[in-house]
Parts: sequence; C-alpha cells; structure tokens
Amino acid sequence: MLYNKNKIALVDCNSFYVSCERLFNPSIIQKPVIVLSSNDGCVISRSTEAKALGIKMGEPYFKIKKIVKENDVKTFSTNFALYGDLSRRVMKTLRQFSPQMEIYSIDEAFLDLSSIRNEDLLEHGYKIRKTILKWTGIPTSIGIATTKTLSKAANWIAKKEKSGVINLINSNHIDEFLSKIKINDVWGVGRQLTKFYIKNGINTAYDLKNKHNGWIKKNTSVFGSRTAMELKGISCVSLEPHQQKRKNCCVSRSFGRKVTKLEELNEAITTHCLNAAEKIRLDNQTVKKITVFIKTSPFQKDNYYYSNSKDIDLPIRTNDSIELVKQALIALKDIYKKNLRYQKTGIIFSGLKETDIYNKNLFSTINHEEKRIKLMQAIDHTNIKYGRNALSIAQAGLKKKWNAKRHFSSKVDTACFNFLPTVRVS
Amino acid sequence: MKALLPFHINKVGAGFPSPATDYVEDDIDLNAHLIKNIPSTFLIRVQGKSMNSVGIHNDDLLVVDRSLNPKNFSTVIVNINEELVVKTFIKEKNQSFLTSESKEIKDKINLRANPEVLIWGVVTYVIHAL
Repeated sequence: MLYNKNKIALVDCNSFYVSCERLFNPSIIQKPVIVLSSNDGCVISRSTEAKALGIKMGEPYFKIKKIVKENDVKTFSTNFALYGDLSRRVMKTLRQFSPQMEIYSIDEAFLDLSSIRNEDLLEHGYKIRKTILKWTGIPTSIGIATTKTLSKAANWIAKKEKSGVINLINSNHIDEFLSKIKINDVWGVGRQLTKFYIKNGINTAYDLKNKHNGWIKKNTSVFGSRTAMELKGISCVSLEPHQQKRKNCCVSRSFGRKVTKLEELNEAITTHCLNAAEKIRLDNQTVKKITVFIKTSPFQKDNYYYSNSKDIDLPIRTNDSIELVKQALIALKDIYKKNLRYQKTGIIFSGLKETDIYNKNLFSTINHEEKRIKLMQAIDHTNIKYGRNALSIAQAGLKKKWNAKRHFSSKVDTACFNFLPTVRVS
Repeated sequence: MKALLPFHINKVGAGFPSPATDYVEDDIDLNAHLIKNIPSTFLIRVQGKSMNSVGIHNDDLLVVDRSLNPKNFSTVIVNINEELVVKTFIKEKNQSFLTSESKEIKDKINLRANPEVLIWGVVTYVIHAL
C-alpha cells in the first residue's frame, strides 16, 4: 500500500453525449437536451437545463414525453460513432498531461499527477480543463486527491462548482466536502451496501471515513473496506494504465420491433457474430465457446415469457466469421420457438485467447485454413477502408428491418467521410 | 481517416538491384502533412457557394484545427446565430473583427462587442476536388 504520495486526478466529461451533440449543433447550446438509449428507451445523458426540469437519469422516454413537449427539450438518439471519436480525441489530449493514465470509461480517465508540485496542482487542473475544452469542445470536471475514491469524490464536488476543478490534496476542507456527499454517491458503494450503511447510521462519505476500521472489516467485504480506507487517504486501488485484453465479447441488441421469424433472428445473430468477430480479430484473439441467447419481453401481457440460451464448445479455436456464424445459427435453431414475439437476441464469445493464428503455416502451401485467414483479413481491411458492413455475409441481411429504432439520431460522424459535419459559408 | 499514396519500389530480383533502394521512404501520408494536431483537428464539409472567390467551393473539405488561435486574415469557423459558418478573422488596432468573403454580405462583426459570437476553429487547408 502506498501512503499519501499519490496525486490522482479524475477527469470526467460533463454530460458527455449531450456535449458531443452540441459541438456541431450550436442551436442546442444553453437549451434543455437529452440523449436516449437504444430504441429510444431511457434518458442516458442530460444537459444542466434538462436536469433543472426534473428529468432523471435512466427515466423512460414515454414518462417524460409531456415535459419534453412543453419545454421543447431537444431529444437525440445515441450516435456512438460520434461519441467514440470525440472520446478518443479527449483521451489523446489528456495523455500529454501525464505519462500514466487509466481510461476508465468513454468519458472518464484517471491521471497520475505525482510529478506536479502540490502548490501547482490546481493551476494544472485548470490548464487540463481549458485545453480539453479548446481542442475538443468538450467541457470537463476535474477532481484531484491522493486516492482514486477521493478523486471521484472531489470530481463529484467539482461538477457542482463553476471553476470545474477541486483539489483535495493538503486541503482543509476535505471533511466539509465529504459530508456533502451522500453515501450512495460514493464510488464503489452499491445499492445493497448503501442500505446496510444507512441502517448503521452512515449517511455520507464523511460518516464512512470516520467509521472504525475494525467495524468495517468485520461487517463488509474486501471491497467495502477498500472504499473506506481510500476515503481516509490510503491508496488501495492503483492506477491501471494498461487495458486488460477482454476475456469474452458480448454483442446483443433489442429489436426495433418484435421479431417472430427465424429468418430475421438468423440475420440478427449473423450481424452480431460478424461484429464481435471483427473486434476479436483486431486483438488477434480466438474463440473457444459461443453462447446464443434469445428472449421475449418480460412486460408483455397475454404472452408468456421465454428466455433461453445455448452454448457451443468449438472443437478448434477460431476467429473465422463464417465458421462462427455457422455454429451460432445451429445454436439459435435449437432454442428457437415458433409464434413468439422476440424482443432481444445476442451472442457471447468466451474463452478468448490471443493466438498466433496469423503466423501459423508460414512456409506451407496455401491450404484451406490459410485461405480463410486471408479472406478474413481482406474483409477487415475493406471494412476499415470503406466503412462498416461494406463487405458482409449475405445471411446478415441487407435491410435489417429488425434494427433498433434511432428516430432522433444526429447522423454526424467526425471519423467517417460520408457523414462529416457541415458549415455554411457566408 | 488514412490517406496513403503508394510509393512503389522494385522487388528484389535476380538482376541488377534498384539503385533507388537506398532512398526508400515510407508512403506519403497526407495526414502527417495536413494535420499537425490530431485530437484537435476536424474535417468539415462546406455548404454554399458564396466563398468561391477565395477558393472555398460547395462540397469542399476544410481541415479545421481548434487548438490554433486565429491570426490576421485567418479563415475561421465561428458559432454565430446558433449556426457554424465560415468567416474571415481581421485584426485592426487591438480590435478583432469577423468579415464575410461573400459579396452580398458587407457586415463587420466586432468580437468584443458581440461576446456571444465564438470562434470554433481555424481553417488550415481546403481540399477541393477538380
């Protein structure tokens, strides 16, 4: 364990998806804006103005339609191509401020600032914030502290401050800040733990910080004590600059409308398989096991709920799309039942491992396997060059009528030639 | 966003080796030349014909760097009246203005007097298809 030498900044983008939408659409700046999840289901990003109208995170769209209409709330479907590109830009910009950095999510990163003098930390924070805003147009909040959990807490406070930066290192106000943070807003404290803590009189981050170590160790898990130690300023969760390679890869989607026919399910499963196979090939990984799952809506009246899945263990590891699709469709046929209205389907590739599949058979004559590897490389190269799905398998369908609804998508993509943002000349 | 122009070199064969092999360089990467700061540079497509006279045409691509500060006569993207538009940045005696290259528009916007007008980025190149 490291004591008090760490200086960690958590940089978090403010209302990230909304900020992305605003970058090329100035008409929605300073107005209430929301972004909806897949199938335009729930609110997943809100502007400050939308928050002020009482729109909650995760709220279903149909419940807030009235507020949206009455207040002319600008509503968007997700545009992950755009968010992904802007996220990469934010992270690239951040990287120049610290040699050690952990990308924690699409809109958050921990930075190691131990090389910065204490008295310069706040100024450094302002500089990071200003640079990110100027270069990428994305506003951020920054919390600086000695542990990850404290930097999360500092960030929570910074979000509410106009300056956008809070430094808790050598601060006399730590306890004052921590007593403002409700226990359920503390990083790593989930719903169950919140209930337990409140029952025991721990209502804020400050209460948890001052709870006796022995009591916490006796009553919570390792993770529980970690959080408490971190609030006391003792670092227990270290920065992880290197992303772990994935051990499994899941692709699933809800349908835009209910799907009954096996042919359409085949299309969806094929599409998901191709998508996942491309991802794992990029990492040189191969699959050991495929899981296919389908389900109907649990909320549907007069229809009974059906959910099933099937695993297929592959005899030989592969990342060949054609082979993976073939196996997945066999599994799907096995669990498919007629006359049901399916809501969602997906696949999971598991037992992923890095394999030197590309180097095998280097000196042999071209055999079937090598031909397939070359075919996959050709598909991947074509799709990287000409956009996703330029080359696909016919089984994946062309129209994909089952695709998720995205009625309000902005359709701008800063990383795709055909969907670049536009400006008017005058 | 990768644009590579291939630079072909002879394969090593049995005959006389290519005298150019000592001078082999990588493919020309337009990104490296046209984009100085990757995270802050965006490609933006032009709509409209009113800047034809300065070489900016409908459907052209603008390379826009947000990290730069505009200099006198920089072509800039500005956020004005809830819209992104292309303007020319002009400095006169400690004051900054935005003007239009269009012959129909004669206005000159004083940036200090109009704090709601924001400079979005500086145009560094125009890519025009012939």
